[in-house]
Amino acid sequence: MSQAPAEIRKHARGGEGRRKARAQPKGRQVEPGALSDVQALLGDKPRQRDLLIEYLHLIQDRFGHLSAEHLAALAYEMKLAQAEVYEVASFYAHFDIVREDETPPPAQTIRVCDSLSCEMFGAQTLLKDLEAALDPKKVRVIRAPCMGACDKAPACAVGHEQVFQATPEKVKTALAAHHHEAPKPKKDYAAYIAEGGYTLLGDCLDGRLTRDDLIKRIDDAGLRGLGGAGFPTGRKWKLVRQEKGPRLMCVNGDEGEVGTFKDRHYLDIDPHRFLEGMLVAAWVVEAAEVYIYLRDEYPELRAMLLAEIPKVEAAGLSRATKIHLRRGAGAYICGEESAMIESIEGKRGLPRHRPPYVAQVGLFGRPTLVQNIETLWWVRDIAEKGADWFTGHGRRDRKGLRSFSVSGRVKKPGVVLAPAGVSARELVEEFCGGMLDGHVFKGYLPGGASGGILPESMSDLPLDFGTLEQYGCFVGSHAVVILSDKDNMKDVAINLMRFFEDESCGQCTPCRVGTEKAVKLMAKPKWDEPLIAELSQAMTDASICGLGQAAANPVKSVLKHFRGDVL
Amino acid sequence: MPKLKVDDVEVEVPAGFTVLQACEVAGVEIPRFCYHDRLSIAGNCRMCLVEMEKSPKPIASCAMPAADNMVIKTNTPMAKKARQGVMEFLLINHPLDCPICDQGGECDLQDQAVAYGMDHSRYKENKRAVKDKYMGPLVKTIMTRCIHCTRCVRFATEVAGVEDLGLLYRGENAQITTYLEKAFASELSGNVIDLCPVGALTSKPYAFTARPWELRKTESVDVSDALGSNIRIDVRGNEVLRVLPRLNEDVNEEWISDKARFACDGLKRQRLDRPYVRKNGKLQPASWDEALTVAAEKLKAAGSKAAAIVGDLCDAESMVALKDLMAGLGATSIDCRQDGAKLDASVRGAYLFNAGIAGIEQADAILLIGTNPRAEAPVLSARLRKRFLAGSLKIAAIGPKVEMTFPMENLGAGAPTLAEVAEGRHAFFETLKGAKKPMLIIGQGALRGANGAAVLAAVRSLAEKAGVVKEDWNGFCVLHTAAARVGGLDLGLVPGAGGRDVAGILDGAGRGEVPVVYLLGSDEIDTSKLGSAFVIYQGHHGDAGANRADVILPGAAYTEKNGTYVNTEGRVQLGRLAAFPPGEAREDWKILRALSEKLGQPLPYDNLGQVRRRLVAVNPVFGTLEEAKPGAWGAFGQAGAMGSEPFASPISNFYMTDPISRASPTMAECTSVFLNGQARTGTHG
Ligand SMILES: Cc1cc2nc3c(=O)[nH]c(=O)nc-3n(C[C@H](O)[C@H](O)[C@H](O)COP(=O)(O)O)c2cc1C
Ligand code: SF4
Ligand code: SF4
Ligand code: FES
Ligand code: FES
Repeated sequence: MSQAPAEIRKHARGGEGRRKARAQPKGRQVEPGALSDVQALLGDKPRQRDLLIEYLHLIQDRFGHLSAEHLAALAYEMKLAQAEVYEVASFYAHFDIVREDETPPPAQTIRVCDSLSCEMFGAQTLLKDLEAALDPKKVRVIRAPCMGACDKAPACAVGHEQVFQATPEKVKTALAAHHHEAPKPKKDYAAYIAEGGYTLLGDCLDGRLTRDDLIKRIDDAGLRGLGGAGFPTGRKWKLVRQEKGPRLMCVNGDEGEVGTFKDRHYLDIDPHRFLEGMLVAAWVVEAAEVYIYLRDEYPELRAMLLAEIPKVEAAGLSRATKIHLRRGAGAYICGEESAMIESIEGKRGLPRHRPPYVAQVGLFGRPTLVQNIETLWWVRDIAEKGADWFTGHGRRDRKGLRSFSVSGRVKKPGVVLAPAGVSARELVEEFCGGMLDGHVFKGYLPGGASGGILPESMSDLPLDFGTLEQYGCFVGSHAVVILSDKDNMKDVAINLMRFFEDESCGQCTPCRVGTEKAVKLMAKPKWDEPLIAELSQAMTDASICGLGQAAANPVKSVLKHFRGDVL
Repeated sequence: MPKLKVDDVEVEVPAGFTVLQACEVAGVEIPRFCYHDRLSIAGNCRMCLVEMEKSPKPIASCAMPAADNMVIKTNTPMAKKARQGVMEFLLINHPLDCPICDQGGECDLQDQAVAYGMDHSRYKENKRAVKDKYMGPLVKTIMTRCIHCTRCVRFATEVAGVEDLGLLYRGENAQITTYLEKAFASELSGNVIDLCPVGALTSKPYAFTARPWELRKTESVDVSDALGSNIRIDVRGNEVLRVLPRLNEDVNEEWISDKARFACDGLKRQRLDRPYVRKNGKLQPASWDEALTVAAEKLKAAGSKAAAIVGDLCDAESMVALKDLMAGLGATSIDCRQDGAKLDASVRGAYLFNAGIAGIEQADAILLIGTNPRAEAPVLSARLRKRFLAGSLKIAAIGPKVEMTFPMENLGAGAPTLAEVAEGRHAFFETLKGAKKPMLIIGQGALRGANGAAVLAAVRSLAEKAGVVKEDWNGFCVLHTAAARVGGLDLGLVPGAGGRDVAGILDGAGRGEVPVVYLLGSDEIDTSKLGSAFVIYQGHHGDAGANRADVILPGAAYTEKNGTYVNTEGRVQLGRLAAFPPGEAREDWKILRALSEKLGQPLPYDNLGQVRRRLVAVNPVFGTLEEAKPGAWGAFGQAGAMGSEPFASPISNFYMTDPISRASPTMAECTSVFLNGQARTGTHG
């Protein structure tokens, strides 16, 4: 696209006279310099609306921020209203908008995770130390939500590259270093093929397996959605298949729930197992396109996928399904499936109303299968080893295998593959090497920030879908954070509520206002129990999506089980 | 048709209805803030929660489609509690400054707060302070009151079709703003004031001037364009403070243009509040008796050579009185088409918007000819956009390349393109022909040139050939810009036998052949062409006509009289007296009645009822109020050469088109901000 210099975007619509006579007020003018920057960055990439966030990333990556001039130029280039581009950019935490009268942020940014596990391991001290040790003109230190490294707390990110068990020294080293290469996956395409990978997909694509057959295997295994909701996967496939085509598929790799890092783990150890599961699922629902939405906190995984996906394509394995990789931009709410779809469409991540469900009206208005990364990772194993293999595992009448992201006060935090129905106590003692020295087991989060908090006295309950609901909790994405006698439950609850306050999309009244007010009320020396209880109930009952509906779970739990810490 | 139960009442509602609408059908009022039946559903305020059987949580009734066998309960403890909780959340950040709020007394939030007994807050923390935003000269923001319902954003993007408003950031930081605080550039922007449920967006010109209960409210019609938008005029004492829209689905739905709403401050300025007579070259105040005597003498002397031109804001009563008075003189030079449009008064179908404004929603192919609806009739333009949004509309234009609020192909600039289409040589002819309900919207820009009559004939021929006029559909639609015009044509205010039209009158005046010209509110002619004619100006503002006048007879503005107006569709509507004319100014037909007395030929009516009977006698259409039917069809226009002049819209500045808006400081500010680009930036106002 070649443009005459100093083009002026003519979208100030008005009477004829207005258009002729209007001097361009500030912000309307498209600067030739900014326009050529944007054109150079975009090259011949399609000026499609749904790619807006991708292009905002290009500008942010290149210039370290989004200037008003670049936003105006991008709007011009994509034929969008400036207000629209601005609305989208301002929604995501990883974009820094710099208006005409503002100074750009320093060249480097350090994001310090202050979500629960990192907070327990000294995030506040780290924040302070970093601020003291670094020149604020060169480095900006800001707080950030959970970045999926809770087992290596405290975590922070230099740019987007994470530093684990971070100390000011490690951070300084990272600041000086220049990582460029994507780390090779633990198992790349060749290694995966060598162990029989993609045979299942081949069988599907070549008609040696029927779709019904595959759905039956998944159904029989009782595989459930591991993104948090636990919806039976086979049933979802059937529901999507019932809808009139063309159908689409999205993979939820947003993994934002505090304490969750299992998707990262599986992508790290064996990415092709996930990709194969994804392509099989896409084949089952006949989705001609699949969009992988990967959170921006995992740049190394993105680089890895960018290297591995072409190999799959080159082998003709994606012949039935075109693969798109999309990049999140720092918004937990985009893990909610309809918000994720909005984000993939290049918009603000506002959850949609249901009905219609995304299986009926999803991405670009099409029936859409949304599946979590780990859910898909299991497809091959179940299809090949059989449902019985999967259901052969389990404790306390639960069946199957579950991946728990365990962090907090245990000796060996990390992703733990355990039988469904395992208890929190068993996770601590059997799988995670026991409590840290000097810590006494006091309570635990069974399902991240949303899943509520249970006391140690209830640590023998089976951890599985549908079990903890009666106690006002749920297992969700199986993110278990172990708390000890050193942890004050009031602080824990405030930390979690602050996370929801930061991450609320702000669409609906109860969640937007409720999270903010709750934080204030909870910070008081003594809790006003009736008021907090009422506020919690209103949030739970009246919010649009799971974020607002679950945001009060930790508070309610504390009022139920840890009253001594707050009253 | 889903059948469901609402509070034990069984209702059946059309498919596509929401639970909220079903509740309304069942006679249950559901509180709401974000829901608005003319906007898309946002479902974000959560005020409309009700309980639905089998759902563990209350549902937002506005966002839930009604379905068979639903059991809805609106007043269970759970639903009530949830709504009360939401109400309390909304009030948390609200400054509760009701006593000083312009919305006071007409605020949804205040009403609901009272209904829920929540007019104080249990949350004692500091309220969130939000910086107010600049949105231009018309809309003032008080953003701490905003509840993020996004009605304003949805209005701007959906109805007004401009993307200037947006919701930035997220969570508690979310803010409504215009992009980089530029003015909200829409001719319909004021409607967000009515839409905002909490007084976060208020009228900048009207700010703090009155409390709703101090106002006297009068239902009337707007005259700032030819749509006849239904309005309410709010008056305190004798001062018009504001103009608001009234609902009329067929005309303006519930919108009005910014000119209709905000030009009312022009009613206080440059008013003619006493008669004047020019003496020694200067206009001198005079008594009514003196002014009428002078005028009568001149008219009598001129006799049949006298001429009259009628302006754009005139009521039918004064027009019929003028017509009768001129007839008494034997004068046939009278014209209500001051812009020179070659409208044919002999066939009603030739000058009406026959399909009706609401008919736009049925049209499937539309050709605009010489018109810019955004400037000429913004509310109609919104209807076009609504039709566009409904999908599969083919729309194109011949005339000025204007930016509409929807994509529209421009086929060409003027008559040559029209000829191509009319003669079937252009692809759009087939589009029209193939359409079920094709529509031609003809603007005055196409008709006011010297070849206007030929253009009119060509459009008629196109209409007939392309099947635009059929048994159950007449898509031939003339879009007028003058509120008085259709009434004038209905009353036959066009030259009679041997009479001159506007151009002829001006020409004759220049040559001394027309000794007296009577200007009834005519300000948009070129007064420099009146030569040495004796000019009698009757009207309400000291504008172009009054400046040139030799006698001024001060009349009443549309808010100051009971007057009949016929809109572009041929709909007869009543404007009502909301305030009294200033000083010695009088209702217009009465002035003419008094003048006729001086002429010794008193008009045969003494009260409004009698004038109106006279209207019906002249044209029975005046007997039926508020209805619009397509006009009779027949031969009209004059086939001939159309020339090649481009069609230009008659309006170059939407904000100033008549004596009232030209006198309005608010419209002047809009002109400087929107037309001359003097946008104020930052934190002004
Ligand atoms: C607030 C919120 C956040 C969520 N975040 C994630 C997430 O990060 N990753 C994910 O896979 N699912 C997440 N979910 C669940 C998704 O909405 C959806 O149920 C899931 O992606 C479906 O895939 P599955 O059936 O394979 O679990 C979230 C849900 C809510 C309400
Ligand atoms: S509950 Fe919270 S995150 Fe969900 S839609 Fe409402 S405001 Fe957004
Ligand atoms: S300004 Fe008014 S209409 Fe707009 S979002 Fe706020 S409350 Fe709603
Ligand atoms: S990475 Fe810090 S809590 Fe998860
Ligand atoms: S009116 Fe239904 S959510 Fe606002």
